[in-house]
Amino acid sequence: MTLKGGTGQACAACKYQRRRCASDCPLAPFFPADQPKMFQNAHKLFGVSNILKILKQLDPSQKVIAMKSIKYQANMRDKYPVYGCLVEIQQLSYQIQMAEEELQAILAQLAYYRQRHQQQEISSASDSLSQLQLGMGPPGNALTLLHQDNPTYDVMTALPIVPHATYSNHGNPGYNTEYLEAKENNVVDSLWIQQPYSNSNNDNNSMVMQSQLSMAQPLSVQQETAQDYDEIYPFFDTIDDRQSYIDSKEVYESSSESSLKDTRQSVEQLAENELKSVAACFSLTSVN
Amino acid sequence: MASSSYSNPPCAACKFLRRKCLPSCTFAPYFPPEEPTKFANVHKIFGASNVSKLLNEIPPHQREDAVNSLAYEAEARLKDPVYGCVGAISVLQRQVLHLQKELDATNADLMLYASNDVSHSYPVLSNPTFMRINTQYNGGESNPRYASPWNNGSLDENSNNANGSM
Repeated sequence: MTLKGGTGQACAACKYQRRRCASDCPLAPFFPADQPKMFQNAHKLFGVSNILKILKQLDPSQKVIAMKSIKYQANMRDKYPVYGCLVEIQQLSYQIQMAEEELQAILAQLAYYRQRHQQQEISSASDSLSQLQLGMGPPGNALTLLHQDNPTYDVMTALPIVPHATYSNHGNPGYNTEYLEAKENNVVDSLWIQQPYSNSNNDNNSMVMQSQLSMAQPLSVQQETAQDYDEIYPFFDTIDDRQSYIDSKEVYESSSESSLKDTRQSVEQLAENELKSVAACFSLTSVN
Repeated sequence: MASSSYSNPPCAACKFLRRKCLPSCTFAPYFPPEEPTKFANVHKIFGASNVSKLLNEIPPHQREDAVNSLAYEAEARLKDPVYGCVGAISVLQRQVLHLQKELDATNADLMLYASNDVSHSYPVLSNPTFMRINTQYNGGESNPRYASPWNNGSLDENSNNANGSM
C-alpha cells in the first residue's frame, strides 16, 4: 500500500519500496510513476542506497546528467545481462575501425586520381611544348635536339624526384599530411621540369644522363612509378633513342681504341634514327 | 578470520567482506586475491548482493565476462561519477559522426575525380562494401543501430527504435 506524499502520485522508487514518497524525495524527479521498469533496472544493478550515494557527491546540475547515465547503464544491463554497456562500446569501436579503414582506402584512391590528373596536365603541357619544338627546327638539325638544353632533358633530371613523391606507401598516421605531401611534391615536379638543364653538371652530359637513368632503374621497382613513367613522360620513347646514343657513347668511351671516324659514323646513324623517329611522329606511315 | 592452512586462500571478495571463503563461494573464481581493487570497486558501485544476484542469473560460462564488464563499469563510474562508462560511449559516438562527415567529404571529392576519369573507372568505386558501410551509419543522429542517451535515445521496454525518450 503506497502512501502518497503531498498532492502528487508516489514516484516509481517509492512505489517499489512501498513507502511514503516525500515532497523532497531525491529520486522522484528521475523515476516517474508511469515508468516502473526503469527504476527496477536501476535498482537491480545499483540499488537505491548506491544511487543515492552517487547523487550525494554531485551538484544539482550534475545530478540530472548522472541519473541519465545511471538509467542508461541500467537499461543496457537489462538488455545485455552479460556485457551491458560494453556491447555499445564494442559496436562503436568496430564502426570507427571500419570507417577509418574505409577512409584510408578512399584517400588512397583520391591520391591516385589526383596524381593521374596532374600527370595528365603535365603530359598535355609537355606535349604542346614538344610539338612546338619539333615544329620550330628543320629536320636537318636533328642533332641539335640531342645536344641543346631543352626541357626534355629536364624530364631526366626530374626522375630522381619521383621517390620523393607519395607514390610509395607511407606509414602516415594522419591523413592530411599525406595529402599535403602529394600536393607539394607535384608542385616540385612541375618546377623541376621547368628548370633548364644548365643546373646539372655540364662537363659530361652523357655520363650525367646515364647516371640518372641508372638511378631511375631502382625506382621502377616501386609499385606505381613503373606504370606511370610512360604516362608522366609520354615522350619517353624519344629518350630511348638517346639511350642508344648514350650506350654507343659509353662503348666509345670504354673502348681502348677510338677514332674520330667511328664516332662520326655512329652519330650519323643515330641522326638517321632520330630523323626517322621524328618523321614517324608527323606521319602515319611506318618507318623502318 | 580463520582459515585452514590446507584450504585455498580467501578470494578478494571474502577478504574484503571479512568472511570465510567457502569452496562454493560465488565470487572466488572471478575475484582472485591478487586483484583486491577489482572487487572493491564493484562492491562500492553495485554492491556485493546485487552482483551475486546478477551472476546467479547468468550461465556459468559467461560469468567471467559479466564480472569483467561490471568491473570496467565500476571503475569508469569511480573515475567519472557523472558519466561513468557512458562518457566513453559519447566520445565514441562523436568520433563516428566526425568520421562519417569526413567520409562524406572525401567521397564527394572522389566522385568528382572519378566522373572526370571515365576511361579508367576504378573498380573499387562499385565495391558494394563501401556502400554497405556508408549506409550502415548514415548520419549520426538518425543512426538506427543504437540509442544515444543524449539524443533522446532510449533502450527502455517501451521503445523499439533509437528515438525514444529516456
